[in-house]
Amino acid sequence: MNVIACYKIVPEEQDIMVKSDRTLDTSKAELKLGQYDLPAIEAAVNAVQESGGKVSLLSAGGKEIDNSKLIKGALSRGPDDLYLIIDPAIKEADANQTAAVLAAAARKIGFDLIICGEGSSDIYAMQVGAQLGEQLGVNVFNAVKNIKPQNGAIVIERSLEQEIEVLEAPLPAVISVTTDINLPRIPQLKEILAAGKKPVTKWGLSELGVTVANPVEVVSTLAPECKERKQIILEGDSDDIIDSFLQNIRKEL
Amino acid sequence: MNKVSNCWIFGESAAALPDLVSGALELAESVDAVIVGDKTEAAKALQAGCGKVYLIAEQGDTILEDYCATIQALIAREKPRLFILKTTKRTRLIAGRLAAAARTSVITDITNLSTDGKTITGEHMVYGGSAHRLEKCGDGLCLALVGEGIFTGPPAPAVSAGEIIEIAFIEPPRKAKLLERKPIAGEAVNLAVAKKVVGIGRGIQKKEDVALAQALAQALGAEIACTRPIAEGENWLARERYIGVSGAMLKPDYYFAIGISGQIQHMVGVNNAKTIISINSDKNAPIFKLSDYGLVADLYSALPKLMEKL
Repeated sequence: MNVIACYKIVPEEQDIMVKSDRTLDTSKAELKLGQYDLPAIEAAVNAVQESGGKVSLLSAGGKEIDNSKLIKGALSRGPDDLYLIIDPAIKEADANQTAAVLAAAARKIGFDLIICGEGSSDIYAMQVGAQLGEQLGVNVFNAVKNIKPQNGAIVIERSLEQEIEVLEAPLPAVISVTTDINLPRIPQLKEILAAGKKPVTKWGLSELGVTVANPVEVVSTLAPECKERKQIILEGDSDDIIDSFLQNIRKEL
Repeated sequence: MNKVSNCWIFGESAAALPDLVSGALELAESVDAVIVGDKTEAAKALQAGCGKVYLIAEQGDTILEDYCATIQALIAREKPRLFILKTTKRTRLIAGRLAAAARTSVITDITNLSTDGKTITGEHMVYGGSAHRLEKCGDGLCLALVGEGIFTGPPAPAVSAGEIIEIAFIEPPRKAKLLERKPIAGEAVNLAVAKKVVGIGRGIQKKEDVALAQALAQALGAEIACTRPIAEGENWLARERYIGVSGAMLKPDYYFAIGISGQIQHMVGVNNAKTIISINSDKNAPIFKLSDYGLVADLYSALPKLMEKL
């Protein structure tokens, strides 16, 4: 079984600065692998360990994803090789267009199973997996919390609002996995060193024969206006302080 | 005219319909529902204010996702301008598949949806709640996923000349085999509509101590809720009870934060609370800048005293 695990490079949200006009400045933010993508990579490695085959990583983005530290960080998690699709237009691509890029790449690489994270840690629309499966014309499922490869198919458990659903899906398939499907490994020094020797293939959009044109237009991205709060703060736990605090809040309770 | 002419709605359960209809009628002149079920359910949709119901008879041995091909064909034929789905895990997948077939993207987790009659714009949070993004749909189909607590208008009147149109099921080109369904013995909690909420965070040191906050919630008649690590890392409370960009979004009369530092990913879920009250031992915690009333104190000594005096 050949498995592709997808990941997105995102800015560390704690480092995002809000400018005075409420726009965001991500220029000082450190880049990292999306936190919801780590379980997807781990799940791909685990699935192949059981069934045999190969795990490829696939990521698309601007030239910032072509960074040796980020590449090693991804490959040290156990996959065999990595494919990067690099073009500045991908950075602003919406779910439909991101999936179109990934679909073109996945067709070229070849796959039995594609595993995505639950959503990207920056936009978190949780849509690329669904779009990717439909665009590739294969079975597609989200909220997957368990995978078992089984002769040409996978048995998956989906964690839905009211129920756990167990399905047997024929391959090829695309699935998005939940964060509790596994505990992603912390790569050891040996794995990090080995990662530097694994093959990395870089493609541009022209090599895939796709272009990016978003059907949905982003109008603005602004920090929320903060609601004015009274900020009446007391300090201590003496009877007097507790009494005053209670007096403050009693009318609200 | 500041409305689009027509909007479709779809929800996993019939309980979602009244809110969807009332919200959709703010944006469109008429609202049509796509229903998987029987005529009784279709009639209920007319009762809820839908003008038309596209009824797809429920098939045996299927999951809701198996109706995608039928709905895709219906969209291609009727070309709705706006299609609002109530967010659940299944509809998130279904909306994505419908969008792929219509060559567009879904605007998800909408906090505000508006139209001037021509363009449709949706607002949703990005970067873990650090920002709101405004997105504008193209000229074709606009797909929107709307969660709990966004459409809160009064119920719409029934449409007397409503019409039920039966749609033939199209066998999906691919299908998974349903092996088993196990109901989750989860808690049925709907924080989105709770008026009083007590939330706990990392300031609570061990599982047994959750009882302290639970006692306060009980005394106040409030729901108990928490930050993501309390539900997902520690599993001290059910997942349904965590607040934040990937969890519940609240609009309570007050939010009482116990041992919560005030990280943005959590606070976006309670920013719409009328009043925020907090107790935290660290006086530099960001929560105090976001509170109306705060107490800098060790919650282990302050809470019991507070309970006594309540």
